[in-house]
Amino acid sequence: MTEPLVTLRLGWHVVVRNWMVYRKDFLANISPTLADPALILGSLGLGLSPFVGQIQGHSYAQYLAPGMIATTALFTAFFESSYGFFVRMTFESVFKAMLTTPIGVSEVVLGEFMWVFIRAALMALGVAMVLLLLGLLPNLWALIVAPFVAGTLALPCAAIGLLAASWVRNINQFQTVYSFLIAPIFYLSGVFFPVPEKSWLAAIVQLSPFYHGVKLLQFTVWGHFPLGEILIHSSALMAFAVVLALCSFHRMDRKMTS
Amino acid sequence: MSAPLVLSARSVAKRFGDFEALCALDLEVKTGECVGLLGPNGAGKSTFIGCLYGVVQRTGGELEVFGMDPAGQARAIKRRIGVVPQENALDEGLTVLENMRIYARFSGLKKASADERILQLLERMSLETKRDATINTLSGGMKRRLTFVRALLADPELLILDEPTTGLDPSVRHLLWETVTSLRSQGKTILVTTHYMHEAEVLCDRIVILDQGKVVAAGAPRELIAQETPGYVGIFSGDAQEDIRPHLKADWEFFHQGHQCCVRAPAFDDLLELQKSAGVDALQLRPANLEDVYLKLTGSELKQHD
Repeated sequence: MTEPLVTLRLGWHVVVRNWMVYRKDFLANISPTLADPALILGSLGLGLSPFVGQIQGHSYAQYLAPGMIATTALFTAFFESSYGFFVRMTFESVFKAMLTTPIGVSEVVLGEFMWVFIRAALMALGVAMVLLLLGLLPNLWALIVAPFVAGTLALPCAAIGLLAASWVRNINQFQTVYSFLIAPIFYLSGVFFPVPEKSWLAAIVQLSPFYHGVKLLQFTVWGHFPLGEILIHSSALMAFAVVLALCSFHRMDRKMTS
Repeated sequence: MSAPLVLSARSVAKRFGDFEALCALDLEVKTGECVGLLGPNGAGKSTFIGCLYGVVQRTGGELEVFGMDPAGQARAIKRRIGVVPQENALDEGLTVLENMRIYARFSGLKKASADERILQLLERMSLETKRDATINTLSGGMKRRLTFVRALLADPELLILDEPTTGLDPSVRHLLWETVTSLRSQGKTILVTTHYMHEAEVLCDRIVILDQGKVVAAGAPRELIAQETPGYVGIFSGDAQEDIRPHLKADWEFFHQGHQCCVRAPAFDDLLELQKSAGVDALQLRPANLEDVYLKLTGSELKQHD
């Protein structure tokens, strides 16, 4: 078997390992990723809809809906790859044993990305079905497309988590990363309100992979197909995924070997 | 004819910033040998082991495992070795069987043969009744035995044991020794680090003592003792030293170990005579052992020549 195929297969074994551990606490594990979007929709969506009026032709609940899929992808990926990975790396020493087998750091990190992609995609499917039940999914194709977009969006978010995991000296420092990076990304990338055009915010959010994912999911859920914009946002998202993933491979290689 | 080399290190060096963890380390291990790496904490044992399968990148020297360089061919090397790392690193929430299946997969075992292999090894380590137990219900000794099962899954040619028996009770230790001995008789090559001198003496054909990243002595346990600390050792209470000192001979060695003082003399009778002439009874009289060699070579701050 050629080397890339070996890497892919070993990365998949890491996914299987993560799944075996994950399913032991299945309910505890899926709760936050499903409950948070439901809570946001329930409180902000229902509560604010009568006051907010229409945004871009949608009720506030309809406006929020696509962002909930993006939110699931962001939090699934970031928490898994920051706290989750850090715990596996330091407290559980999982990789110390894993790296004595034919698995190398590349396979550990690749496995992490594959795992996060699959989890985010499945969670996105779950959220999309909830949206469908609530009558907030006008485009049924979103049930198929949204998981792929969410999985792709999860990759740069996971890379940010891995970079954080390679930088922090102790687990409390993730709080800083969350407060000053993830939370602003979450609140300002168009989930809760449209980013005003030609504003300083519009310029800044271009640098956030999450913003491009939110845009793509809005098109998906609402059933809009502005080809040019789709092309721009998906290219930007892919570019962030590739660049950040490469950085995290490099950082983790230096972190896990010496 | 000499057996082919499993491992050959020539002037291997590893530098972490200003700290030299390994400096010019030379070591050869032949097929079928059991070699013990001894040395104080921080001597470079684990760093060296890390170099062998690529988690530590050496900064100098030449290193070959099965004729391959771990810097570029770590995966090929890792297919032929089994490692018992210092930490067990088992998945605490999974069962014994689940843990082993994961690692069987990592090592490339086919599903059908994997279960057979796992059960056979569990039996060998007296863990067959625990196959469905969750790891966090196992005792420390059971977990350690399970890491042996994990290391042996792919039937490795070279087994690397990093402090395999630290913190275990004597019966588990003996079971693990038995395992190592039987693996040796099957022709496996074994590299083991330990802080237990008796363990090294019992298990190893050859001992390599590291201190501050260098090999300070190497040889068969008996040879090393004969070379470095021949004779017999009498251990006395610290209070006895004034009585003993006047009776010491020029070629004897007198040194302190904690609150006790020790005398090493060429013959057992020398020590018996010393007891009589000094009028004190030794706490213990024994042949010199590997611990004496170890402390002589590495424990300079614990030893005072008179």
